[in-house]
Amino acid sequence: MRRIVCFFLTTLFASHLFAQNTPLEIGQPAPEISLPQPDGTPFSLSSLQGKLVLIDFWATWCAPCVEEQPELKVLYDKYQKANPGKFEIVGVSLDKSKENWVKAIDRFKIDWIQVSDLMFWKSPVAKDYRIEELPFNILMDEQGTIIAINLHGKKLSDFISNYVR
Amino acid sequence: MRYFILLFAAMLMLCSEMRAQQQQEPWNSNQLMEPENLANRINKNQTANLLILTIGPDALIKGSVDMGPAQEAENIDKMKGYLKKVPKDKEVVIYCGCCPFDRCPNVRPAFNLLKEMGFKNAKLLNLRKNIKVDWLDKDYPINE
Repeated sequence: MRRIVCFFLTTLFASHLFAQNTPLEIGQPAPEISLPQPDGTPFSLSSLQGKLVLIDFWATWCAPCVEEQPELKVLYDKYQKANPGKFEIVGVSLDKSKENWVKAIDRFKIDWIQVSDLMFWKSPVAKDYRIEELPFNILMDEQGTIIAINLHGKKLSDFISNYVR
Repeated sequence: MRYFILLFAAMLMLCSEMRAQQQQEPWNSNQLMEPENLANRINKNQTANLLILTIGPDALIKGSVDMGPAQEAENIDKMKGYLKKVPKDKEVVIYCGCCPFDRCPNVRPAFNLLKEMGFKNAKLLNLRKNIKVDWLDKDYPINE
């Protein structure tokens, strides 16, 4: 009996470890994100249920992420402003410096939701989403399920365009 | 036959391009310090003769001093001022960790500065992917 319990516990422990390290997959629920916005207002990802949400993990120290911001602005202007109830973007910054983060928000005229705990790679959100490098993004459907991972450029805009059609 | 000649020419071009890229870097392979090596030295308190500087987004590594991202001129000035007081034979290791070296805007200006200032024992921490994967995920020592 003891052997069976031992085996069961080991399996449980191993599967837990495995789950912690494997990347997120399409079909899984998007982990909750509860982080402050630049003005300190709290934000929760779950408040956006019912919308298609692009979660963009970025930082001002990540050159390709910064280059991508104008493209996101195009998507935001096209899909969110036309259909405010259907689409949203959430920028999750892995910056350390609030000054740099806020400056970039102004510079790129980012008017979508921005959140950060300003903890750089130590941010728990990096662990929750198993992020190994930036840029990284997730598309979450109306039920909070991950429907696409790390799409950029034309692939990203095509995916959103097909989805909202 | 023509196919092989073409293939051979392509390989030759690729090799020479790779060599050219390697030659362009301000550091050589002997000046790369492996993260495991640095982590061991920090854990064994063998860092008395070593200066660890971050020239990237954050001073994550235990005992490292924050110079700010070296792509910004003001941070290079800050680093210059800081290094004036440091003996030229001191072992100085710099790290950024934002991304692989080919995409990093900070490692080259910082390493060039160390060379210009005559630091004979300058090192670059060999964070191949980034500081998350090559340091944090390995539970190496960090500034709390």
